[in-house]
Amino acid sequence: MISIYKVSFKNLLRKRTRTILTIFGIALSAWVLASLLGFNKGYEASLSRDIDNMGFQVLLTAKGCPYEAATLMLKGGTGLRYMREDVVQQVTGEPEVERVTPMLMQVVFDPNKGESGGISAYLGVDPVTFPKMKSFLEFRQGGWFTDPDAMEVVMGYEAAELEQREAGDMLLIPEKEVELKVVGILKRSGTQDDGTIFMPVRTVQTLFNKPGELTGLGIKVKQDADIVAFEEKLYGLPDVQVVSLAQVKQTIMNLVSTARIMVFSIAIIAVLIAMVGVINTILMSVFERFQEIGILKSIGAMPWDIFKLIWIETVILCFMGGVVGTAMAFGLSKITEVLIRNLLPYAPTGSLIQLDARLVIMTMISVLLIGVVSGMYPAWKAARIRPLESIRSEGN
Amino acid sequence: MKAIRFLIVCIALTAFAHPSAQAAVGCDLNDPDRDVARLFPGSTGYKTMYVSIDKKGGEALLLQIEARLGDKFQGLFETADVPYTIYEIYKGKDKIGYIHGVNQKGRYGGLQVFLVLDVEGNIQSFYFQKLTSRAAKELRDPSFGQQFEGLNLADFYKYDVASKKTVSPGRVDAIKNPSPDAADDFYASLRATKKNLILMDEFLYGNKYLKDFKGHTP
Repeated sequence: MISIYKVSFKNLLRKRTRTILTIFGIALSAWVLASLLGFNKGYEASLSRDIDNMGFQVLLTAKGCPYEAATLMLKGGTGLRYMREDVVQQVTGEPEVERVTPMLMQVVFDPNKGESGGISAYLGVDPVTFPKMKSFLEFRQGGWFTDPDAMEVVMGYEAAELEQREAGDMLLIPEKEVELKVVGILKRSGTQDDGTIFMPVRTVQTLFNKPGELTGLGIKVKQDADIVAFEEKLYGLPDVQVVSLAQVKQTIMNLVSTARIMVFSIAIIAVLIAMVGVINTILMSVFERFQEIGILKSIGAMPWDIFKLIWIETVILCFMGGVVGTAMAFGLSKITEVLIRNLLPYAPTGSLIQLDARLVIMTMISVLLIGVVSGMYPAWKAARIRPLESIRSEGN
Repeated sequence: MKAIRFLIVCIALTAFAHPSAQAAVGCDLNDPDRDVARLFPGSTGYKTMYVSIDKKGGEALLLQIEARLGDKFQGLFETADVPYTIYEIYKGKDKIGYIHGVNQKGRYGGLQVFLVLDVEGNIQSFYFQKLTSRAAKELRDPSFGQQFEGLNLADFYKYDVASKKTVSPGRVDAIKNPSPDAADDFYASLRATKKNLILMDEFLYGNKYLKDFKGHTP
């Protein structure tokens, strides 16, 4: 005996184009829904990884000191302030601290960069602690410095590409007219390290005449430590400011949440449109089969049988739309990511959309729920058809 | 049904057409609007084109360019996937020339050598956008760049980048190194110029100078 599911499926095949278009409409909604849920997960994971890739959770700088190269560029290298090196001992003594790494950034004006000159930045790092803290950095060529006072540089991939340097080449510091040997070229990491020129911190202190001075101190906190309480403690140190990367992350996440609410609202509208589309399609199908349903009832079909028949059609439509939509979400995730990257003011590196089995199940459940809800009215309408009335309408 | 199938095929194809995020870096003008107006006085507009050896002809083209240059592409960064940015310059509706730059390894850093070319491939002006050298001042002096004006690829075929000498007397002999400190960067700028002209001949001038290359093969 033919099952009710088969009958429902065959009914959908009777108007193939309409069925395919309805499935496509549901698929688009499922695609948007799955992509958004995947974005929610992927963005946070990528942002966390970017911040973890900095190697430290807290950055200590001198008060008023811009703490990254981009800010230095904007300020034309005029905003540097310094803190004394003995802050390293003070911070290392704290029980929450796992590791610290001192840094000294210096900039020089290079008149031969572009038409009106530009600035070049050099980051002095400790050859012992910095590589441990940035253990994820890998070398394309060479390795770290041979000596804490070495006249050597390690270059991020993009910095090396701009200067066309390879391990073994010499690099000239403009203004200072000092030559340094390139001992390592890092692989691309997708972080700001790609554009950085690293030197031993003591070499930078000597060359730029800044003995015992630092511009930053990276602090890696122990896993079980209370970061907030530790930051409060650091505020007690004189003339330093604390940059909490956890706070930076939270601020960015807050900004993104605002955008996300707007996008979710659009997704809900898309889902509602799909729902109306499904109701319309099934309702049209019920009206077209008005007499047919009447005959079915006259030969013994109960209202519940008709309700089930129509309801199952809706669920099949939504199930197929959900399958196609989640497949689209996987297949088009790269394109969706490019679109999102163009829209966001800040997008971390790595995959912004992370889809997994849990998200697929969530999307499918949502889409099936749409089917169950939107199929109710047409099914109820079909179940209420009176056999005599419908058969009589044939002659009209 | 056909329209739906077509739509599905389009979606499937675009799914695989996303650009690589880790491509090599080319050599662009820092501020094209300002730089084009300065380098090409009288121009009224420009179009930007992106070409790479990889996309234009792959390995075979790379080998041909290396043969014409008389030197191999070297190191980590001189590769076939480097995207070259070519600025096509217009005066009204008329095309009046091109601006094209290449990266070149220098003694102490990267050089960015831009050539301003007329529609026949003759150098109208020579410009270091970026230069790290002990003799940067001398090399950036206008008198150094002026020595390149009026030359074309036919002249540069007489210069062998490997031996750093001219193989037969010609106009390239007249280009003088402005400072003994600048020898490496001087030769690097000659190599960059020859490479720049060969790339432009391959990409835009339809290999019109290829006959001169064959005539000067040592």
